[in-house]
Amino acid sequence: MRTPGIDFHTHPLLVREMVERHPELAKAARETYYIGNNFQPLETFHLELDLAGIEKAVVLPMDASTAAGAVFWTNEHIAELCRMSTRFIGFASVDPHRKDAPERLTCAVQTLGLRGLKLNPPMQRFFPDDPLAYPLYETARDLGVPILFHAGMSWEPGSRLQYGHPLRFENVAADFPKLRIVLAHLAWPWVVEAVALALKYPNVHLDTSALYFDNPRDFLRFAMTHQVPLTVFERSLRKQLVFGSNYPRVEIKNMAAAIDALGFSEECLNMVFRRNADALLEAGR
Amino acid sequence: MIVKLIRIEVQSRQDLEMIDITGQIERAVADSGVRDGLVWAMTTHTSAGVLVTEGIECLERDVLAHLERLAPKQPPEGTYGYWHNRYLDFDGRLGFNAGDHLKSILSGVNCIFPVENGKMVRGSRQKAYFVEYDGPLARTVLIQVLGEGSTNDKT
Repeated sequence: MRTPGIDFHTHPLLVREMVERHPELAKAARETYYIGNNFQPLETFHLELDLAGIEKAVVLPMDASTAAGAVFWTNEHIAELCRMSTRFIGFASVDPHRKDAPERLTCAVQTLGLRGLKLNPPMQRFFPDDPLAYPLYETARDLGVPILFHAGMSWEPGSRLQYGHPLRFENVAADFPKLRIVLAHLAWPWVVEAVALALKYPNVHLDTSALYFDNPRDFLRFAMTHQVPLTVFERSLRKQLVFGSNYPRVEIKNMAAAIDALGFSEECLNMVFRRNADALLEAGR
Repeated sequence: MIVKLIRIEVQSRQDLEMIDITGQIERAVADSGVRDGLVWAMTTHTSAGVLVTEGIECLERDVLAHLERLAPKQPPEGTYGYWHNRYLDFDGRLGFNAGDHLKSILSGVNCIFPVENGKMVRGSRQKAYFVEYDGPLARTVLIQVLGEGSTNDKT
């Protein structure tokens, strides 16, 4: 029986209590993320975590001021949600195009209590290795907070895949060896490239929130046994892999069951589901 | 003629779960003012159901287990796959829950009972269940009561 885990990748788009307080969040769910599911009480999120054997979830906002002219979920929304439940770990979002991006991140961490930074190069329309984002990386490194980058495929119609190619993260990993980077979604379809980065750079981590066809069990088996052998994750990347679901694009229960079924040792599962996330989050405390 | 429609929310707590809603239907009848007519309940979802069976825990388990055998969430490996396993652009996600939709079809999404002298009429062992096939979720069930009220209402 593995340790109750942390889901490193969730979007609180359907939390009804937040949508009732801030009706504009309904538009973000429908028109930005194209999530058509019904809004749900906070209790459903908790039950979903319980069913998956997950204790806490990282919840993510999105500031796309420059690319889309909007902040879809603000850092203040995330902080408000975290005050409603001790089971949430709030991350910030900052538009790297903004000149005051480093100050905004500092405020989000030091004033709002957020514990990481989420960046989405395709939605925020910047290349990860563009020097414009470097001041933000320096600040994240100095604050000791991890950056969770969207990487790989993007569903959002306005986004472009080129911004999420894993090789665009190599300069960041090399130039900021003390910055802890998580590439989301296994950077699918470029899993081999993402694994190469993680093998070469110990500050690069991968999250498992990948599902682009079939079902979680079959997709993750394809990506994590056929595209890259499971033994590579178990033996070489066991400290650099974290569980993520991408809820509500997919239920946490299904992604957790798929990872549980891959064939990892129990020790490795405990690292993927908990210890690696703890290590990423604790360094900044 | 009285026609009353109410919406109730049912919070499922498990992936597969049977939730007894008989009392809520009876209350809807009592509150409706209908003396003789009928009441029916329907879930508005396509991966959930409404059915009537004997209200005992062992049968609840059997119903869920048998529906899962008939329409598994994931078919046995090497047998068949679901066409529904694909990206649904209108939902912003993959639809890999065909088995749950199929269970909903097998069980049905509604039930109906007569109303006599202001009370729902059912067999002594019958219970009405909301059935979750893809929980946990907050779900909606519609209950509609139709019929004649007191003598004064018969116009």
